[in-house]
Amino acid sequence: MTADQIRAHIDQIRHEFAQERSLILPALKFAQTEKGYLTADDLAAVAEATNLSQAFVESVATFYDRLYLETTGRWVISVCITLPCMLRGSDELLHHICERLGLDHHGGTTPDGMFTVQEAQCLGACDRAACIQVNADAMRGPLTNEDADRLLDELRAAPAPTEYAR
Amino acid sequence: MSDKTTTAPPATDAVTFEIDGRTLTVPKGTLLVEAAKLLDIEIPIFCYEPRLGPPIGACRMCLVEIEGSRGLQTGCSTVATPDMVVYTQTQQVKDAQDGVLELLLANHPLDCPVCDKGGECPLQDRTFEFGPGETRFVEPKRHFPKPLDLSPLVAIDRERCIACYRCVRFSQDVAEDGQLTFQDRGEQTEVATFSGEPYTSNFTGNIIDLCPVGALTSIPYRFVSRPWDIQNAPSVCAHCSVGCNTELTTREGEIKRVTGRPEPNMDVEEGWLCDKGRWAYDTSRSSDRIAEPILRDGVGERSVTIDRAVGSAAAILLRQGIRAAVLVGPKATVEEGFLARRLAETTLRGAPVSRLGIPSAGLGPLREVPSAQLGDLDRADLVVVVGGDPANQQPIVELRLRKARRRGAKIVSVGPRPHSVDALGETMRTAPGALAGGLEGLAERIAAAKHPVVCWDEADLAAEPAAAAALANALSTNAGARQIELGNGANGAGLRAIGLETSGVLDALEAGIVDVLVTIHANPCAGAGSERWTAAAAKAKCVIEIGTHRTALTTRADVVLPALSAYEREGVLVSMNGRAQRLRPAAAGPAGAAPAWELLIALAHRLGTPPRERTPAQVFSTIAASYPAFAGMTYSTLGSLGQPLIATSAPAIPPSAVEPSGEGLALVVTTPIFGGDARRSEALARVRPAPELALHPSVAAANGLATGSMVRVSSPHGSCVLPLRTDERLAETGAYVWLGLGAGTEALLPAGRSSVRVTVAPEATV
Amino acid sequence: MPIMNSVYRHRENGGAPLTSLDAYRAAGGYAGMQKALTEMEPDEVLYALTRSGLRGRGGAGFPMGRKASFLPKSSPVPTYLVCNADESEPGTFKDREIMEMNPFQLLEGMVIAGYAIAAHRGYIYIRGEYEHQARILDDAVRQAREAGLLGSALPRAGYDFDITIYRGAGAYICGEETGLLESLEGKRGQPRLKPPFPAVAGLYGCPTLINNVETLAAVPPIMVNGADWYAGIGPEKSPGTKLFSVSGHVMAPGNYEVVLGETTLRELIFDMAGGMRRERKFKACWVGGSSVPVLASQHLDTPLDYESLAAAGTFLGSGGCIVMDDSGCIVRASLRLAHFYRHESCGKCTPCREGTGWLEKILQRMVDGEGRVADLDLLQSLFGRIAGKTLCALADGAVAPIKSAIELFREDFVRVIEAGSPVPAPMEVAHV
Ligand SMILES: Cc1cc2nc3c(=O)[nH]c(=O)nc-3n(C[C@H](O)[C@H](O)[C@H](O)COP(=O)(O)O)c2cc1C
Ligand code: SF4
Ligand code: FES
Repeated sequence: MTADQIRAHIDQIRHEFAQERSLILPALKFAQTEKGYLTADDLAAVAEATNLSQAFVESVATFYDRLYLETTGRWVISVCITLPCMLRGSDELLHHICERLGLDHHGGTTPDGMFTVQEAQCLGACDRAACIQVNADAMRGPLTNEDADRLLDELRAAPAPTEYAR
Repeated sequence: MSDKTTTAPPATDAVTFEIDGRTLTVPKGTLLVEAAKLLDIEIPIFCYEPRLGPPIGACRMCLVEIEGSRGLQTGCSTVATPDMVVYTQTQQVKDAQDGVLELLLANHPLDCPVCDKGGECPLQDRTFEFGPGETRFVEPKRHFPKPLDLSPLVAIDRERCIACYRCVRFSQDVAEDGQLTFQDRGEQTEVATFSGEPYTSNFTGNIIDLCPVGALTSIPYRFVSRPWDIQNAPSVCAHCSVGCNTELTTREGEIKRVTGRPEPNMDVEEGWLCDKGRWAYDTSRSSDRIAEPILRDGVGERSVTIDRAVGSAAAILLRQGIRAAVLVGPKATVEEGFLARRLAETTLRGAPVSRLGIPSAGLGPLREVPSAQLGDLDRADLVVVVGGDPANQQPIVELRLRKARRRGAKIVSVGPRPHSVDALGETMRTAPGALAGGLEGLAERIAAAKHPVVCWDEADLAAEPAAAAALANALSTNAGARQIELGNGANGAGLRAIGLETSGVLDALEAGIVDVLVTIHANPCAGAGSERWTAAAAKAKCVIEIGTHRTALTTRADVVLPALSAYEREGVLVSMNGRAQRLRPAAAGPAGAAPAWELLIALAHRLGTPPRERTPAQVFSTIAASYPAFAGMTYSTLGSLGQPLIATSAPAIPPSAVEPSGEGLALVVTTPIFGGDARRSEALARVRPAPELALHPSVAAANGLATGSMVRVSSPHGSCVLPLRTDERLAETGAYVWLGLGAGTEALLPAGRSSVRVTVAPEATV
Repeated sequence: MPIMNSVYRHRENGGAPLTSLDAYRAAGGYAGMQKALTEMEPDEVLYALTRSGLRGRGGAGFPMGRKASFLPKSSPVPTYLVCNADESEPGTFKDREIMEMNPFQLLEGMVIAGYAIAAHRGYIYIRGEYEHQARILDDAVRQAREAGLLGSALPRAGYDFDITIYRGAGAYICGEETGLLESLEGKRGQPRLKPPFPAVAGLYGCPTLINNVETLAAVPPIMVNGADWYAGIGPEKSPGTKLFSVSGHVMAPGNYEVVLGETTLRELIFDMAGGMRRERKFKACWVGGSSVPVLASQHLDTPLDYESLAAAGTFLGSGGCIVMDDSGCIVRASLRLAHFYRHESCGKCTPCREGTGWLEKILQRMVDGEGRVADLDLLQSLFGRIAGKTLCALADGAVAPIKSAIELFREDFVRVIEAGSPVPAPMEVAHV
């Protein structure tokens, strides 16, 4: 994404912050909606738009789990593995999804670029354990292996999202 | 981050409290770590480093027990309060220290024997003093890719890193280069630059000094020495006029490393060094170092013993009716300058003697304004930088200016060169030769400020006496105003202080009334007015050269006496703003060489005027007795931190002619940080800029010059050929070149460096 | 059902969402703000909050009114209100419900609290994963602005207040109040050294009040019904109601609003959340999120309030009650928590950065069948080297559940170690 596009986005909320630096997360998150992850060029564009150093922007970006500096699939499937979900079968679910997609058991990205599966820490939906989140959609759960299969099929058939919220 | 929070509040209120059963009184705002030091109690620390800003309390090494507080508190961030009762040696504290060390060591590699930090490693030392006997960590250690180059000069081994934040804070909050940051989080946290680009700054080496483990190490020093076979000695850097206090590491008489002082000089460098001061020590063993005495006489050219060479030099000077002249370069110590002057005036009965440097004419009133130490910038509310390019020519000044700005000073820079100090505040870009115009309006601001400090460039203001006068006037309106001269040469100011002036020798040579030219640490044929000097020197029948590195004169000198460099000899250097500091001999230097002071004493003996003094310390006493600026000083009063010269009134030398010589574009010269005498450094080769001519694009176009093409630059004094770069920020009336890169740009300047204009024309490529 | 009072309007409302302003108003919304802003001075609001006894619902349980009163009475720089909606504590999902079902009650509470501390801007720092909830808040803010319930047309002349929804990006530590502030200031979310506390130097160095979603959402009813009403619910030191998020091996996971002090843990788990699945036996529960000491069956009759739970050796915390039945393995559960804290440690301070990783490695070894009995002593000693030695409470939270697990269930650990073979992964079914 270009610095101008990012600037246009954050200019709308600039007045809400006493310091420009606060715009960095909104800027990073916005830049990420383009492809679902951030390249070095994206980071540089954010730096330019926020008047921060590139190193600082990268340092902030690497701190947060939901900012991706490596390519992600079209659909990022976050499988919660924290205790409440573990107690209700999240390990099975993760295992199943990874098997089905031919991924390593801790997740990864499918070669066709369709899916990224990752372990997530508590998603705040333990009442729906075992739960998952697709991109930044509302949490889904509880999911059986069959539910997961169905979901994967649906996602595969669905059109690409217009913006990649993560 | 603001530095304001670190300043201890004025000691109006004192606080009385107790540490380990002993009562003490400290100024309000004192941190427990600092208070404990007063009682010689060590609270161990890793992340605490007050020069980096407010404490961050991250490493948790400094935990202490405070009566009434829940849990342990960090001594590095806790301020002493009245009646506080602190314990630093209880079992609970010891367990905590043990714990932090055990945890730090858990993932730390066990490669101390091959680590460059081994033996002088705070982590190792703390472990001995406070740490656990053995580790209980049996798990596989955290793994990062093996050592990488963070820059051409600094290597990083992330597995050794303890995430103390010091390097990152230095980059972010001191050098403000913004390049080093932490990436990732938790136990994966690592120090990194953007996309793994090299860390480039003029101050990168400081992170090596700051690193409490062997994660950041010096590439030139890699595997060079082990701590048990090295010696360290405090000294002063002689690579520019600032006079940063250094520590020299030698092994078997050879200089191996330069670091910041463990006990910094807060008035000067605050413990920081620029990368030139840190790595240019290899110049002391460069291939053009003069290693043995050379004699050229009827028999031919040959190397001889130093005794024989001194004898020959004396023999030349003893010839009947001989007329000599003595030229002293700015690297000569105060003692050497004094001995040279006495040699000329007494032994050689009034022979002309002068220093190589910038004439004082017109600068008297400015120099009479009370001078500040660099540390005083911390208290300034307005700092005006007039002319020059301190970031290149007096590098540490940049860090001090950054700190001043963090502490609330307004920084205004006035002058023709775009430079890194501009970004610190306001910039008034002037046309070359028009500094006076840029000073308009500043007088009121200087008058209105509480603690204004003006940093002015010696060369630029000497070339513009009207601006110098205006600036002196502006400063006179405020009794609290101070000035800092951004001078030239390691000891230019010291030579001036003992009355050496720049005129005399050149005129005498040109008049043909000099038979023997004696040079001491001087290289006139490579500096300003080099062509004129070369022609003038050719008129002298004999040359006796005392120096460290080959010059244009070395190949023809009748006697060459190899001298010891600043790493190898004793003496006093006076920094640009008048601080006398001691140079200590750390390295041995070439076997055939001797310090210039000793050579001068020996010469005086042979010439029948045996001096009373036999050591530099004795010479310095004589100086102290003769020159009010040094009154009362001795080597012991100078101690390890030096002393400011005593203010004396400068001789009023009226400004000389101001009309620039030549036609065309005004020449603007700057010595880049890794140029000058550092251009010989191999270590710095990869960070040194290339010679160039820089012009405003419109000027380039008007002269039919294409970027990258070779251009002949000519002045009435000489000419040289340089590749062209264009830069929008430059004045359309100027031609900008680097000095000190061996490209012959010095030839463009008149001797004395007054203003000059140049023409530019395409140079046919060969 | 032991609920006698409900503080959260959507619950009174039969569980229908109140995401439209009209619906919220119809349910009595904005009466609290109207009263506070038109009938009360800021210090009266502050006093009412103090007297109500409302305690912070984010984890530490600090009395809200007292914290608000730490802000300087007059400040030359702006003061700020920050709502902590980072809700990342394992097992906690109550703030999510409030934001999903009843966003206006939070907004209304913020205007009132902002008024009390003379703030003109409030921020809701919401965890990045709650994008769906953030959009509900965005919409509610828009509606409120349009209706003059945010911005410069508030029913108090000269008083304006607006709210910014600020999305996090996935970091538990940004729930710690100073980590949150750093993140909101655009930095890595690493906790700050305290003092200074946020009340003195918080966001942008200005005085700042930080409260949890549930805390702020409780404010409007206190204004409407009076401080005495709230103070009169439940025990004197722990008044009011609290949402507990119940998860794990129970029949009916979900949020339950209990009157503090008048409900026991047993009632929460067995009556409200339906008890164990498949007739399993209760084994353990982490009642206040995962950062608290674990409880066993002997604690089931403990009343749910700050003091009683402290007496039982744990904390009320965030109210995220994770329940495990006897099919679960406490060593494996501890490992999973250790993994969480290792993953979430910000890395700033040594004991946490290095310690959480070490804890995980030891527990992993045990689960892999390579534990040693001596590891239990090693763990014990590491707990002392980590807890209480750090900058923020994350590390304490990492130690508490594991340390208590070894204390309460030592024989389980010993059994796993002595077995010397990998603990089999329990074959869980996804839902009952
Ligand atoms: C590691 C850590 C994580 C925390 N996470 C949250 C959180 O997600 N939400 C929250 O409201 N408080 C959280 N807290 C507590 C906050 O620091 C703070 O006490 C709270 O927001 C204050 O609001 P309250 O007084 O209304 O509870 C956390 C604390 C720690 C140490
Ligand atoms: S305790 Fe952990 S999370 Fe908290 S500041 Fe220290 S390293 Fe960061
Ligand atoms: S020195 Fe105090 S925490 Fe590092």
